[in-house]
Amino acid sequence: MKHQHLLAVLALASGLAVAAEPPVGFVKTVSGDASLTFAGQSVKAEVGTPVQAGAVLRTGARSSLGVTFRDETVMSFGPDTELTVSEYLYAPGQGQLKMHGKLARGSLNYVSGVIAKLRPDAVAIETPSGTLGIRGTHLLIKVEE
Amino acid sequence: MAMLGKKLLFGLLTVNLLAGCAGKSYVVLLENPDGGTGKVVVKGRQGEQVIDQAGHGAALDGSGKAAAVPAATIEKDFASAIAARPLLPERFQLYFESGGTRLTPASLALLPTIIEAAARRPAVDVSVIGHSDTVGPAEANRTLALQRAQSIADLIRARGLKVHALSIESHGESNLLVPTRDEVAEPRNRRVEISLR
Repeated sequence: MKHQHLLAVLALASGLAVAAEPPVGFVKTVSGDASLTFAGQSVKAEVGTPVQAGAVLRTGARSSLGVTFRDETVMSFGPDTELTVSEYLYAPGQGQLKMHGKLARGSLNYVSGVIAKLRPDAVAIETPSGTLGIRGTHLLIKVEE
Repeated sequence: MAMLGKKLLFGLLTVNLLAGCAGKSYVVLLENPDGGTGKVVVKGRQGEQVIDQAGHGAALDGSGKAAAVPAATIEKDFASAIAARPLLPERFQLYFESGGTRLTPASLALLPTIIEAAARRPAVDVSVIGHSDTVGPAEANRTLALQRAQSIADLIRARGLKVHALSIESHGESNLLVPTRDEVAEPRNRRVEISLR
């Protein structure tokens, strides 16, 4: 697994075509029951599990999860949480910067990264009752149905 | 009369429940880990609010002005999410002798620190990002910065860096540490950044 990530990313850097998009982040902490769903497939979250743009992250009761993104954005989730990584673009060399998430329920601890630093209007978190425009900062967000 | 009373009571209860609901979905702004406080704009069904003070929060539907959130409330609602926070990323800058891919002595001396810092992180993923100054064409600088990043990635792996994932990137002359005009030689812009996550 470790070597697959390395090869995929290196191949991309050297300009070779690869089928899979490079991950936008990795799981760094897990406690209890947490999962990632991407392209219709659900996997148990473990330390080192890659996160793709479009993935849905979920935690169960008495569980938590922490993810660090490529641009150094850090997110961690408390129990009974669901967050979709709706959009993630991080290519400063090409001027592509965007991070949109959708918090359907639960709790989120958010520390902003380079995307928010380089383009403050490119980061937003959508919730069922309102949308947050995030100008480079540290936030706690709770969504209760 | 009794009927009217009941209706009125029901109406009041509904209003209170809605207010209670809005209060349960909220955002709190905190100070950044590196000091300073940013800003968050809440756009909800009930209105728009701006929060720019650490420790202040507002309902996600935008229904009320930002106000201080008690520490006990934060603890009750977010203790688990806060405890799950991964180690904050670290970033190192490495500098080159003019025009080439050889590191300055100070940067060379930093490599063991970077390798040890990486070893302390679970499933560490590392970006090695090359940057140039603005002397010469942008395309040539993109290539030069990629070569620098590649040579540093080879070097730190030869020195024992273990990674879960590694990416080698070039930002060329488009992400200057010290802003300059085009065609300006600036040693602080000729660098490779190492991002440890």
